[in-house]
Amino acid sequence: MDTTAQVTEAQTQWIIRLLNFWRIFSRNRIGLAGLAMLILLIFVAVFAPLIAPYDSSSSASVKIGDVYNPPSSSHWFGTDDAGQDVFSNFVFGSRVSLTVGFFAAFISIIIGGSLGLVAGFFGGRMENFLMRFTDIMLVIPDLPLMVVIVALTKPSLLNIIFVIGLLGWTTTARVVRSQTLAVKSRKFVLRARAVGAGKRHIISRHILPLVMPILVVQAVLVVSLAILNESALSFLGLGDPTALSWGQMLNYAFSRGAMSIGAWWALFVPGFGIVWVVLGLTLLGQGLEQILNPRLDTHHLMPGRPIVRGDAGEASEKNSLLEVRNLSINYVNNGKPPARAVENISFSLKEGELIGLVGESGCGKTTLMLALLRLLPSAGQIVNGRVIFNGKDLTTLSEEEINVVRWKDISIVFQGAMNALNPVRTVGEQIAEAITKHLPGFPRDQRLQERVIELLDLVGIAADHKDHFPHQYSGGMRQRAMIAMALACNPQVIIADEPTTALDVMIQAQILELLDSLRKKLGLAIIFVTHDLGVVAEMCDRVLVMYGGVTAEYADVDIIYNDARHPYTQELLKAFPDLTKPKKKLSSIPGYPPRLDALPVGCRFAPRCPQAFERCHREQPILHKLNNPQSAAHIASCHLLEASK
Amino acid sequence: MNRSRAILRKIGWAFFTILFVVILNFFLFRVLPGDPARAGIRDPRLKKEAIEMLRVRFGLDKPVINCFEALNPIKLGSCAVNPLDTQFFIYVRNLAQGELGVSYHTNRPVADILSERLWNTVLLIGAGQILSIIIGVIFGVFAAWKARTAIDFTSVVSSLIVWSLPTFWLAIILLFWGSNNGLPLAGKATPGASSLPLLQQWADIGRHMLLPTITYTIVYMGEYTLIMRSSLMDVLSEDYILTAKAKGLSTFQILKDHALKNAMLPLVTVIAINLGFTVAGAIQIEAVFSWPGLGGAVFEAVGRRDFPVLQGAFLLIAVAVIFANLIADLTYSYLDPRVQTE
Repeated sequence: MDTTAQVTEAQTQWIIRLLNFWRIFSRNRIGLAGLAMLILLIFVAVFAPLIAPYDSSSSASVKIGDVYNPPSSSHWFGTDDAGQDVFSNFVFGSRVSLTVGFFAAFISIIIGGSLGLVAGFFGGRMENFLMRFTDIMLVIPDLPLMVVIVALTKPSLLNIIFVIGLLGWTTTARVVRSQTLAVKSRKFVLRARAVGAGKRHIISRHILPLVMPILVVQAVLVVSLAILNESALSFLGLGDPTALSWGQMLNYAFSRGAMSIGAWWALFVPGFGIVWVVLGLTLLGQGLEQILNPRLDTHHLMPGRPIVRGDAGEASEKNSLLEVRNLSINYVNNGKPPARAVENISFSLKEGELIGLVGESGCGKTTLMLALLRLLPSAGQIVNGRVIFNGKDLTTLSEEEINVVRWKDISIVFQGAMNALNPVRTVGEQIAEAITKHLPGFPRDQRLQERVIELLDLVGIAADHKDHFPHQYSGGMRQRAMIAMALACNPQVIIADEPTTALDVMIQAQILELLDSLRKKLGLAIIFVTHDLGVVAEMCDRVLVMYGGVTAEYADVDIIYNDARHPYTQELLKAFPDLTKPKKKLSSIPGYPPRLDALPVGCRFAPRCPQAFERCHREQPILHKLNNPQSAAHIASCHLLEASK
Repeated sequence: MNRSRAILRKIGWAFFTILFVVILNFFLFRVLPGDPARAGIRDPRLKKEAIEMLRVRFGLDKPVINCFEALNPIKLGSCAVNPLDTQFFIYVRNLAQGELGVSYHTNRPVADILSERLWNTVLLIGAGQILSIIIGVIFGVFAAWKARTAIDFTSVVSSLIVWSLPTFWLAIILLFWGSNNGLPLAGKATPGASSLPLLQQWADIGRHMLLPTITYTIVYMGEYTLIMRSSLMDVLSEDYILTAKAKGLSTFQILKDHALKNAMLPLVTVIAINLGFTVAGAIQIEAVFSWPGLGGAVFEAVGRRDFPVLQGAFLLIAVAVIFANLIADLTYSYLDPRVQTE
């Protein structure tokens, strides 16, 4: 009784997984089309005797006049060199091609799958030997070897299946091996090994289920290759004379005068069958692959979404260099409601000023910065607000016009530890490129090189590193090179997007010092994105604290440190060591920032806020302007401030 | 220094693979039942002396290799025979001297037959590869650049369709079309064309090459399109493309200066791996168009059961593919600065 219950439970799970898969698969048009094509063909093969108007061996009463008859009502696709009905042979040919394809692929998949599994799982010498052997077999051209072997043996269907199967496993072995390697180091496999599970158990219960999906995709591909190979062998005259496959039909037609008679039907029709089945398999494989390895299919050159400029309100401050007003950004999520990544952010920046943008990871800082120069990924959309630079609204510019502003007026220092420099071009080239792009009058001779050296010198990189590639630089050097590049066209604003994360403390200090000295020397305005409050305290004039895509608090740096009003800012400060009060206990904020696709209804900080009350969970607070005598602008969004106002 | 060691290792590996092919080639033709000479010898009409003469002529009177008199059926022999006097050693020695045996069909040395034909195949594959790579790269770039648009969808689906075409069938269709449009149907040159001035000879060869090259190009461009597309999609999602965009470079400049080289590097590897498959295509195309290349030689040898030619052609094809692979591998490490300095 108990066992039957278990079995049915396992079965239900299986059915649920299958249904889940079908739900995803049924949305994949390519895969679905391929599956439909295959099912139709399998149907034809299974019911061939019912579909074909003539028996497969009806050549008994062939007269000379029956040969190569054009299509007619009695022979839809004409007759072939033996006077047989092409359509009937076509229908029966599907059986041969499918049989060879599936059985040969079965052999290949078994061999390739087990070799790959063994090599990947056991590693060491075994892996080395098996993979070297696979490499050799991969280099030796398949079809010529098949031709040789089939020519030396009897051209029977069984032989052909074995030859194709025994030679078609190489790619499968490689694919399975790399997947096994990837799966092997996953946590649950390591755990199973740690508790002493047997190798066979680990392979069959933990690794195989995860290798299987890839093996299925691979199998689809191998079947199609086997069918193509069979047809090529048959066409070359190495097919089984007793099994009339599509390739064999083409061989007979081609070598027995169909071309000179002009019997196109005998030449074209069998080929359609091959194309049909191979295309069906290819589409199916492509669809399965897309489900298995979903790729975002987006990149930086895809056109951005149209900008929506709602009511941005009046300018808050005069004579600012860069002013961001009520900027809101959504991430469009196909089908689902858009994620509100940034909402109603406003700040302004004067010449030579340094503003700090603070918040935990994932709170929309980078999105905001990218939006300023309209560099958002294609899913990102500005849905409200303005970005006013020198009196120009950057959100209204055309792509050509914004290209002039980019780097020339506002440049960005990306995280250099990331892949922000092109790996196949020298650092010097990449700096010079910015100059020649934006200063077309700049001489492209020795003086350009001198300017590049001068810029590198400014950030403390020796001239002989100019012609090196990024991978020859250390992380800190790459970051400094990025700064040199950002300075190349003497911009008015530099956006530094977490330029020091992932660098060690000494280099961090160097880079910060460098930025600060450059600001003083060149009069740059800098937007500094960071989650390090210490850096902010030391360098910034003003601070914008963001939480979950909205402004938590925005004020002069002194006010933030001495009179923070938003609970989030207060908690952040508690988490940060204060050198004047060394005895003070540090505390961290429990929980995580909200996910953009699951924002709380009320205040976004409410779930983690120690002072939250009932209203906070229900209603989103508005931005309160605080009348602080020391500062013109002190803004915070918290229900607590309503009472105090 | 490390780099030259890596190059030496690759060259050494290629030679090892060639050695493997040489040995495989020898034993395939001894182990499998259709052994060339023996098939002839089994003819009941032959007298005993004639059989002995044939055996001596093909060297079959000697043991296959030490310890084995014959391999099919297995017949053990003395292990003490002079290794220099075995079929295997004679085969290797002949190979080293460029001797591949004599064709059953024409009685000419196989090496002579194949060396003429090798260049015709190189010509055909070369032209086809260059064209399919150029077209594939162009389509792939457009598909990736215009990702998720109708252009992208069309080029992906049509690439999958041309990928699914059996090479020989496309060749037949084009031949059928060409035969109705006055294009030459077979061979490399019109008979008697060698008396024409050089320029007209070339034009004649060009006309003959047209259909085979088109076939080749269509069959392989789909794969290059798909690879180029996915490679470029990867590159265009990299951070350095965002940097380039932030620098104010136009789409064209980004593609030209920052994306194409990076995206084409993986293509070099794929082209190398593909060479084995392209030979398969060449065999089919040459069979249909009677192109006098190695593939055509294979096709004819199969039809005539001309085993020395088949054996020689297989060896030559395999060695050529291994060499081409090696060259592609070395080119890759030359092109990618990351590999160069590592």
